[in-house]
Amino acid sequence: MIKVNAMGDACPIPVVKTKEAIKSLNGAGEVETMVDNEIAVQNLTKMANQKGYGVKSEKISNTEFKVTMTIGEGQAEEAKNDTTEAECIVPNNGKKNRVVVITSSKMGEGDEQLGTNLMKAFIYALGQQDELPNTILLYNGGAHVSCEGSLSLEDLKSMEAQGVEILTCGTCLNFYGIADKLAVGGVTNMYDIVEKMENADLIIRP
Amino acid sequence: MREKTLQLVISFSSTAHAMAVEKYCLEHDLPGRLIPVPKEVTAGCGLAWKAALSEKEILLEAFEKENITYDGVYEVLLR
Repeated sequence: MIKVNAMGDACPIPVVKTKEAIKSLNGAGEVETMVDNEIAVQNLTKMANQKGYGVKSEKISNTEFKVTMTIGEGQAEEAKNDTTEAECIVPNNGKKNRVVVITSSKMGEGDEQLGTNLMKAFIYALGQQDELPNTILLYNGGAHVSCEGSLSLEDLKSMEAQGVEILTCGTCLNFYGIADKLAVGGVTNMYDIVEKMENADLIIRP
Repeated sequence: MREKTLQLVISFSSTAHAMAVEKYCLEHDLPGRLIPVPKEVTAGCGLAWKAALSEKEILLEAFEKENITYDGVYEVLLR
């Protein structure tokens, strides 16, 4: 067991220190990292999950957390040659949690064809922004936008690949009989939709 | 993935015209897609046809053949 003190260290230092400790294990073993914030715990856990290490974390106090990783023989060997950079996936690093809700396949009231094109243009422009939203929720007529035949699929898929969570209302897919046509993201229910909206700093509805 | 590359953007005189061009292009399997006119092209609002730079000739030839008029042809950095 190697103990790592990463108290007071900002990301990516706790991950870097832990990786160094894993290398110095020279075989199977455990590494215990002490950090002082929950985001560091999340980053360490994420790294462990990516590498397939066993990982458990314990909150000792509000400013003291212990993350224990269990490394297998083969994994220790792999870790020696690991050159990947430590990732800092810091949720909410001062960034607003933005949720976009697509409630129709058309944007705005008026001409239908124009509305369809505006929605398409909106989703394209959304994907062009420097900062992407955290989540896109699609419900009622909006459910068509994430299904086969939608001209926004390419844009939604690209955003999904960049970490945007895309969720379509299951009740709606079922109602329109298009559950087997869903082509991007996952299916969600009303409880998740309420939760996502409640936790949002900003809800964007075109 | 978030890198911008130079892409072809063709603008039109009106929204309705741009929508008609989209219909034509989709029906005739012409490459590209309709996008909101990038801010680099004009500050105004409108729709434009976007495609890869390499598809410029195919598109412009098709437009000429079909007497499809367009406002301008641009090369814009887009994601």
